[in-house]
Order: sequence, then C-alpha cells, then structure tokens
Amino acid sequence: MSNIKGTIGTVISYIVLTFYALLSLYPFLWMISSALKSNQEVLSSHSLIPNEFRFDIILNTWNQLDFFRYFVNSVIITVFVVLGIVLIYAMAGFGFARTKFIGSNVLFMAFLGLLFVPGVTVLVPLVQLLKSLGLIGRDATLPQTYFGLIMPIINGAGPFSIFLFRNYFSSLPSELHDAARVDGATNWGVFFRIFMPLATPVIATVGILNIIGTWNAYMWPSIVLNNPDWFTLPLKLKDLDLQIVVQWNVRMAASLITITPVIIAFLVLQRYYIRGLTAGAVRG
Amino acid sequence: MGQAQAGVISRPPNNKRRKTLIQHLRDNAGILFVLPAVITFLIFGLYTVIYSIVLSFFRWNGFGKFSILPFACDPPACQFAGLDNFAYFLYKEPTMSGYFWQALQHNLIMAVVVTVGIVLVALPIAIALNRAGRGQTVYRLLIMLPMVTAGIAVFYVWSFIYEPDGLLNSVLETLGLGFAQAKQGWLGQPDTALPALMVVMIWGGVPSATILYLAGLQTIDKDLYEASVIDGANAWQQLWQITWPLLLPVTVVIIITTINSVLQGYEMVYLMTYGGPAGHTEVVGLQIFKYGFGDQRQLGMASATSWALFVLVFAVAVVNLRLFRSRTEV
Repeated sequence: MSNIKGTIGTVISYIVLTFYALLSLYPFLWMISSALKSNQEVLSSHSLIPNEFRFDIILNTWNQLDFFRYFVNSVIITVFVVLGIVLIYAMAGFGFARTKFIGSNVLFMAFLGLLFVPGVTVLVPLVQLLKSLGLIGRDATLPQTYFGLIMPIINGAGPFSIFLFRNYFSSLPSELHDAARVDGATNWGVFFRIFMPLATPVIATVGILNIIGTWNAYMWPSIVLNNPDWFTLPLKLKDLDLQIVVQWNVRMAASLITITPVIIAFLVLQRYYIRGLTAGAVRG
Repeated sequence: MGQAQAGVISRPPNNKRRKTLIQHLRDNAGILFVLPAVITFLIFGLYTVIYSIVLSFFRWNGFGKFSILPFACDPPACQFAGLDNFAYFLYKEPTMSGYFWQALQHNLIMAVVVTVGIVLVALPIAIALNRAGRGQTVYRLLIMLPMVTAGIAVFYVWSFIYEPDGLLNSVLETLGLGFAQAKQGWLGQPDTALPALMVVMIWGGVPSATILYLAGLQTIDKDLYEASVIDGANAWQQLWQITWPLLLPVTVVIIITTINSVLQGYEMVYLMTYGGPAGHTEVVGLQIFKYGFGDQRQLGMASATSWALFVLVFAVAVVNLRLFRSRTEV
C-alpha cells in the first residue's frame, strides 16, 4: 500500500520537475533557436526547430559587430572584481573570525549595515567621487575608468562576502589554528597555508555569485563607461536597440554569446556553490 | 586569541597591566587582515553614504559644484533646501508625491506577490527534487539555470515572448483562448504590464529558493515522517505539521532576501518597460535613478527619496526578523 503511494508520489514528482524544467529552459531554447533562424522566420514561426539552420548569424555577430572586443572587456572586469573580492574579504572574514582587535564587533556591524543601503542610493555620490578622483570623464584612461568601475562593485559585494567567509572560518575547529601557532606560524601563515585552502566551498560560492553579478551587470557599467570601445557585453547588447529595424535573430545571437560564458562558469562551479550557499544559510 | 595567550606565557604576570605601545599593536595586529576591506569601505561605502545623506538636504541640478570634503555648494545650481526634498515627494508637491506613492504601491504589490509566488513554486519543486532519486542532479541543474542569466539577455527573450505578435499571444491563440490575448503586448498594456514583470521576477527567483528549500529538506529527520505514518497522518498533514514548520527558518531567509531585492531592484524594470506604459510599472528605485541620471536632474531629490527607500527596506527586515524570531530559533 505505502509502496504504491510512494511510487505515485515519485511519478508526480517527476511530472512536476519535468514541467518546471521545461518552463525554466524555454527562454534559453528559444534564444538558441532564434539565433539560428532568419529574422523573418523568428517573427513568423514559433517553432523551436529552425527550417534552415543559419550558423552564419552567430559568426557574423561575433565578427562584424566585434563582439570579441566586448567579450575581452567583460572578462577583464569580471576577473579583477572576483579576485579582489575573494582576496580582500577572505582576509577580512578571517580577521573577524580568528583574530581579536579593538572595535572588531562595531566594524563588523558597520559592514552588515551596508547590506540595507540600496545600491541606487550611492550611485550619484559614487559618480561624483570618481569624477573628483579623475577616474571617469573625457581625460580618464581605460585603466583608470575600469578601476573606478571595479572598486564600487567590490565594495558592494563586501557585506555578504565577509559574512560568508567569517561564518565559514568560525566553523572550522580552533585546534587547526592553535596547532599551527604552537609550531611557530604567524597569523598570515595560518591564513594562507591552512585556512584559504580549506575555504574552497566559500571561495567558489562567493566567486560564482559575483561572476554572475558582474558579468550581467548593466546599470553601473552603463553609467561609468562612456567610450563605446570599452563597453562590456551587456552594454553592447543593449546598444543593439539602436538598430532601426529590430533584428531579433541578431539580438538573440548576441544574447547567446553574452550568457554562454557565465553558464559554463556556473556548470564548473555549481557543485561547490550549492554546498557553500546552503552551509551559510543553514548555519545562518 | 592565540596572540594574547602567547603574550601571557612569555611575560611575568605583574607586567600584564602595563602594556607597551608595541604590545598593544601586536595584540591588535588582526586588524591588518581587515584593513583592505575597511579602506575600501571608508572610500566607496561610508563616504558615499554620508555624501548622499548631506545631499538629501540640498537642491542641486548637477551643474556647478557640490562636495562635502571640503564642503562646497555653489548657487544658483546648488541651494540649501532643509527638509524640502522630503516634504515635496512625501506630500507637499502633488505631482511628485503622486509619482512616489504610486511607485511605492507597485513595489509593495511586487514584494507580496513575488515573495508568495516564489515560496509557492519553489517549495513543491524542492519536495519533488528531494524525492527524485537518480534524476535529482540533472533536474536541479536545469531548474537552476534562470538564476545564472538574470540580465539583459534574458529580458530580451521575455520581451519577445510578451510582444503583441509574440509567443504568449500565439500560444493563447492556439489554445483557443484568443480572447485572453494582450493585443498591445503584455508589457504594453497598463493592466498586464506589472503582472508580466512579476512573472519574470518569480521565474528568476525560484531557483535559489528551491536550492535553499532542498538543503532544508535534506536536514529533516526521516524518522519523523515514519512516526507520523504510524500515527495515521496523510501526506497533506505531513506537509503542514512536519515539513512546513521545520522549513520555516528557510522560508524566513527567502522572504527577507526576496523582499529586500524587490524593494531595491529597478534594473529589470528599467530594461523591460522603463516604468511604462504611462507609469504603470514605475518603482521607487527607477524614480531615484531618473532623478539622478534622467533628463532633468534633481540630485538632492534622488538622495532624499533613496533614504526613504532605505528606511523602508530596513524596517521590513527588522519586522520580519522580529515576527519570526521566536519561531526560527532552532
């Protein structure tokens, strides 16, 4: 009896899952299929399978619209943001979890308080700050502008990253730390040789969250970057709006180019990500 | 901690109280780990927050000069306004306050509908995932995909789905539900634009909620279910008396993070409707953005409105934690 019930339950589960998986996937499937159709066919047929596979559209988008350039820009910005975040906030998390200093609690609360400040609140002040530092504007160079773009993104990721790293480092047994110190290791040695290698799940979690966020970021880069050659992929994608006739197939090919790298990064890191995220939340 | 102990061992006890400066520095050396974060925070966090607070008491159109270190506010572009900015958008200036309260109303509708929607969709999927033995990994991956690409690329797809001759309308046509079509497009009609946006938000928010629920489900002791079967409980009772209460802490996390992101968010609205048609999808974040970067800049107003938003976000988080605190301490 309960066996039959169990089987029915499992069957229903699979039906629910299949249905929702299709719903999740549909927009992606549609994106892929439209990137392979002629613009006419995109508009006239809603079938997922193209009549004629037009691989030239993706190639043309990549070559003629110079997407390689924007791809490189996106990679540069994302890499620096993620490296910065992991290094700065792993250290900070370790500092809060494993060392003592005057004012550490107050400081930690100050960081968490930043979580509630809406991002849009500081947009205007940030732009004024970057202007007065000469990091944006007509005379600013590419490195200056990218630095001005990157630092606020890093800072924005601070509270949550510190929180995850601190929780994780606190949860490791204190014997690890004590034993190393008895052996004469400094705090720095303990951090880099013992704690960082153990922090892979959190590094992956923080990494994937910020890879996704930075790669997809639109608003902040659109404010800071005024030279079209310095654009990131999302900005270039949005620029396609300026076409007089909307070419949905080109738009979808460009969208596909934009999201593929982040999907690959996600597939590589997702195992750790689930572990890290749930560890943080459950311990919360 | 280790440092303090080491200090005690190497020194006679009577010296403990009179620490030298060097001793103090060594005891607090941990602050060096936090220093890069603190410097970043002071410049790009604290400074901008203070700047924004000060600016909210001024009227400034972005020309001329306004700065706080050293203080400068050059008239006529910049003028001290006291509490005027707040008064204007809250009640004093009808067009402005109407604009604000309408946007806030949309934010609140979104906060409720999107949060409830995400919980209602994510929980059954997590339960189903938990039961799916071998297929779990693959399904989990497929279901997680939308969270990876919440950005302009996906908004384009949804925009097309919602077009007048887009996918949704043609599906309705095929199903014989032509009367339910949105002729001007789902994002183009005042009555359908906001719901259409909320569907995309739920679609994008379900994956992470599902993962959190799944993790919660995996911590629940299976014996509880077996014991309840012996007591004659059916699946529905199990859901309400075991699963739901034990997952409440997870639900609270989901509620708080969802409301937080819905109240603060505006990028999706900016990209998909820009607040239209005729202000029907206007949200507070978007208004702040328009005050700050739109055609007629009112930077003081942008700051003032954003602090109202901060108070709201903060208050909602506090209320949520208070409401659920007694029940979430496991």
